[in-house]
Amino acid sequence: MLVLQILINGVLLGGMYILLAQGLNLVFGVMGVVNLAHGAIITVAGLFTFWFATRTQLNPLLLLPVVFVAMLAIGAVLQRSLLEPLAGVGRKSELLSLMITFGLSYVLVEFGLDVFGSQYVSLPNLQTTWSVGGLTINEALVAAGVLGAAISGLLQIWLQHTDSGKSLIATSQNRIGAVACGIDVSRMRCIAFAIGSSLAAAAGVLLIMVMPLSAQTADSLTILAFVVVALGGLGDYRGAVLAALLLGIAQSAVGYYAGGDAESVVPYLLFILFMILRPQGLGRAVQAQ
Amino acid sequence: MTQATFNRVLRPLALASLSAALLCAASAKAEEPPIVIGASVSITGALAVDAAYHLHGLQQGLEDANAQGGWLGRKIELKYYDDKSEAGTAVRLYTKLITEDNVDLLIGPYSSGITQAVAPLINKYEKVMIEPEASVPDIYVAGNLWNIQGIAPSFGYLEGVLPLAKSRGAKTVAVLALKSAFSLACDKARLDQVKALDMSLVYDSTYALPQPDFSSLALAIKNAQPDVVVVCSYYPDAVGIAQALQRAGFAPKFLAEAIGPAEDEFTKALGPLANRIISNTSWWASLKTAGNSAFIAHYKATFHQDPDYHAASGYAAIQVLGAALNAVKAIDQAKLHDWLLHNEVQTVQGTFASDPNGAAKKFSQFLFQIQDGTRKLIWPAADAEAPEQVPYTGQ
Repeated sequence: MLVLQILINGVLLGGMYILLAQGLNLVFGVMGVVNLAHGAIITVAGLFTFWFATRTQLNPLLLLPVVFVAMLAIGAVLQRSLLEPLAGVGRKSELLSLMITFGLSYVLVEFGLDVFGSQYVSLPNLQTTWSVGGLTINEALVAAGVLGAAISGLLQIWLQHTDSGKSLIATSQNRIGAVACGIDVSRMRCIAFAIGSSLAAAAGVLLIMVMPLSAQTADSLTILAFVVVALGGLGDYRGAVLAALLLGIAQSAVGYYAGGDAESVVPYLLFILFMILRPQGLGRAVQAQ
Repeated sequence: MTQATFNRVLRPLALASLSAALLCAASAKAEEPPIVIGASVSITGALAVDAAYHLHGLQQGLEDANAQGGWLGRKIELKYYDDKSEAGTAVRLYTKLITEDNVDLLIGPYSSGITQAVAPLINKYEKVMIEPEASVPDIYVAGNLWNIQGIAPSFGYLEGVLPLAKSRGAKTVAVLALKSAFSLACDKARLDQVKALDMSLVYDSTYALPQPDFSSLALAIKNAQPDVVVVCSYYPDAVGIAQALQRAGFAPKFLAEAIGPAEDEFTKALGPLANRIISNTSWWASLKTAGNSAFIAHYKATFHQDPDYHAASGYAAIQVLGAALNAVKAIDQAKLHDWLLHNEVQTVQGTFASDPNGAAKKFSQFLFQIQDGTRKLIWPAADAEAPEQVPYTGQ
């Protein structure tokens, strides 16, 4: 029973990691850029959700579709104005894009500090805990896990079964080939960044009900999301899901048996091990077998 | 010269000259430059919310001191800069305050971590500095001669919880601590206290921030089934652990968390989960300490908010500095330092007194509990506003 509870906790934590990482993965897959502003987008969306919910007393989940759509537009504008002009500068574009998202991250963090303050905040929604046959399952973590799984599922359906999704995959796999096939690569980059930003914002809306956030948590969220993406294999969507679940279960088990210090080292220890033993990532390793 | 001539001519002249001389002296004194106190304050950055209370406490202290005529007959001014909650920036700013601004006196920055970074600089320049927001005992050792603690030490955080719980029949304890200087001091003291009180330690662990998930720790605590859970925490982990315990379906009889429950955001974040959580404070509005009621009234009138213990410790630092200066009657760093190590001052947060290394030895820690949305002082019994409510419900 104890092992089952640890597994459940791990899977639910993994669901949260999926939510954190998928947007970053999409942007990297198509644009080849680690969006260092990813955590800042999550954080600002979470803080905005807190601000909205405490002032209106409305259910914060109502914001989810609104934030998602709004961030699609904001993400598209950011990509067009900040990143797309770099597409034509050749091999330096990835490095320059990285630096721009680094700068954008700081702008967003400062924006968050100025508008929402520096305090950690969290919302007391989704606090119900269900007890099933001696196992306890929490509403907030289930919601995060379900949403993470739903987003991953929808992303997979879109990527595998729609023309625009296939074009996006083609762009991520071979940009020159995609151009040769008549795919508007510039448009694909814009779509990827917009959706990636929206996924980050959606994660923020839910995360504020799971853990306390402040503007300063942005960097740590970006790093955590990057570790998940790297473990899964950069740009590998199914790999990221597997990596998130592996990480969640590993942390849950290590945290239980070895305490909090050991738990917080797990992501980075796995990261180092994978970089040495499986640099192609978990997803591609599994697929290869 | 006859006595009559003296009385008629020279006496009025002498009196007029004396009056003029006194007027000139008074005028010269009034024109003396103000005493300038220098400090860095975390106006922006991660510590800005609590540091704002600290700054307000300092400002209120100076306003009240100036209203009473200032120190040594001179007005007092505060010169402060924003350290952005960064230790490196604070070190640079204190260097500027000492070497460029040539301030007369120094007050420490907000937080133990930033004060630890600044402490060597204070020793180098041999400037006495009262540190009202540095609870970590490690700063106040023989090598840090010029640092004077202005707040209760962090090893006293939550010190009343275990005696209180034991008196209500609790036997088993779990202790969790954030890996930070102040919380590890609290952790060590509470672990020692478990042994001293002959209670049973069934779980202990430390953790680091950021920690996105506390579910595994909560599960381990649930399996250990302690009567008391003591968490030497900062704000985000205090919220996270209370949430995780509820998610694990476990509510100990006593849940005590160090930093976090004093803040309004804590009850907003946890809702009903916050009810009956116990925490500590080094100051409380109902305490009958020196000048406390006037401090609260003035503070509310100036800032239109209730003070917290950060504001009280800032205000107390000004009270202590004023007492030292008025006793020594000169801005002499060595004499001020000596006086502070050998004298007591009654302040809004209790009796200031230092050991030979500058550590505070008479400030007390108190316990409060969140009871139906309001915070009530529950320990020690002599100061309690309400009896403790047991058990923690956790829902």
